[in-house]
Amino acid sequence: MDSTEKIKVLYIDDEMNNLVGFKAAFRIDYNVLIANSADEGIKMLEKHPDLKVIFCDQRMPDKTGVQFFEEAAQINPQPIRMLLTGYVDIESVIEAINKGHIFRYLTKPWQEGDVRAAIEEGYKYYVTSSALTLKNLELQKANEELDKFAYSVTHDIRGPIVSMMGALEIMKDMDDPEQIKGLIEMMQQSVEKVNDLIENVHSYYSLKRGNLNIQEVNVAALLNDIISIQKVNASLNGVEINTDIEQNEAYRNDKTVLQMIINNLLSNAVKYQRNEETNKFVKISAIVKNGLLKIIVEDNGIGIDNQYLNDIFKMFFRATNENLGSGFGLYNVKDAVERLNGEISVTSEANKGSVFTVTIPGK
Amino acid sequence: MNNREQYHFILIDDSKLDCFIGEKVIQNNGACRSFQSFSDAQNALEHIKIRPIDESKTILLVDINMPLMTGFEFIESFEKNIPEDKQPNYIINLLSSSINQSDIIRAKSYKSVHDFLNKPIKKDTLQAMIDSLSA
Repeated sequence: MDSTEKIKVLYIDDEMNNLVGFKAAFRIDYNVLIANSADEGIKMLEKHPDLKVIFCDQRMPDKTGVQFFEEAAQINPQPIRMLLTGYVDIESVIEAINKGHIFRYLTKPWQEGDVRAAIEEGYKYYVTSSALTLKNLELQKANEELDKFAYSVTHDIRGPIVSMMGALEIMKDMDDPEQIKGLIEMMQQSVEKVNDLIENVHSYYSLKRGNLNIQEVNVAALLNDIISIQKVNASLNGVEINTDIEQNEAYRNDKTVLQMIINNLLSNAVKYQRNEETNKFVKISAIVKNGLLKIIVEDNGIGIDNQYLNDIFKMFFRATNENLGSGFGLYNVKDAVERLNGEISVTSEANKGSVFTVTIPGK
Repeated sequence: MNNREQYHFILIDDSKLDCFIGEKVIQNNGACRSFQSFSDAQNALEHIKIRPIDESKTILLVDINMPLMTGFEFIESFEKNIPEDKQPNYIINLLSSSINQSDIIRAKSYKSVHDFLNKPIKKDTLQAMIDSLSA
């Protein structure tokens, strides 16, 4: 039994004396709630979703204990149900077990030791079965994610490959070198897309399965590493990257996860630019203060339509027809930020640019 | 072969490369009277709303997996928003690179969908689809 929290027990009986006696006997060790009719019992059940064990008298004027438990199981199936009966009435016991899914029945007048043993055993059963329910929910969620994942991966990996197959097919009939060159450039983008996707899948899994590796982080060095990766793309697209770094205290966290977060945000900022903008810029600032790392990535690119702002962190969501993303990047970023107990927020305006702000506490 | 039927073609696909491939394959087909492509299904739908109808039917080729508006959403919006007397002028084909059986089944469940084609569009499959129209 949990030492800090008493097991919550509900006892329903139409005889007030029994209720008072029950409460007096067990209130020291358990959190005892009482109700003197089935209706009141239902109300208690609705009000206390964390009930662990319920005792109910079989003979009550408004409902039998079995009827009560049938109803109770509909409202909340979790609490362990025990029937108290003054008669050794085998019929009602069989009915109780079959219909009301009763864990145990006790005869009246109850013995303190029997009740205590029943509560302890019922609670044990409650803990195992609710742990199982929780695991089942987790499994169900993982399965749904896997389905979605398999569907999108077959499409997102196959998509660019199929495009390249088509391009090769029409290239066979082409003679003009300029046209062929244009086609090769488009094919290159397709190859990069598949590559990006595979990298993202890799970070997704290392994030899900891997353990955190906490170490001291030099924010300036980390940022410079990332920028050197993105520099080629940035200069190719005519995007200027500005940095503003401030770190006057030690900061500890998982370097690889931080790198993944910043790299994704930076690569998005570089990628989603407006062609007509002559002064394309990305500004990244990183400040460590009072044990918090705050990263702001700002750009003057295509921005995000406000109606999609709530969806951008969803898996495989793409807020633009610009055929650049896998719909994976920001999902991974959010996952990673949450893994480090941090927060991420975004403000954006279409055709003006976006600002992503990430705050992550040090370890 | 000489006086075979002519068609307008509209291709809707968010991938620029796929639009380019489609354009080449379709324009090389003798049945192509005109070709247009859209990377955004919503824009295509707006265009279809105001577009005049002539004696040639229009073959629509619509990719299923697109952001913002998917191919399925396009079909639903087409069936709802394009006047019923205009709808028969359009022959809709859904395109997909996915090998997902449920996509194919869903594609064929729409009354306005003529067929489901695998990507990439190839000259043979395009020709077979066009032949099936006059058969």
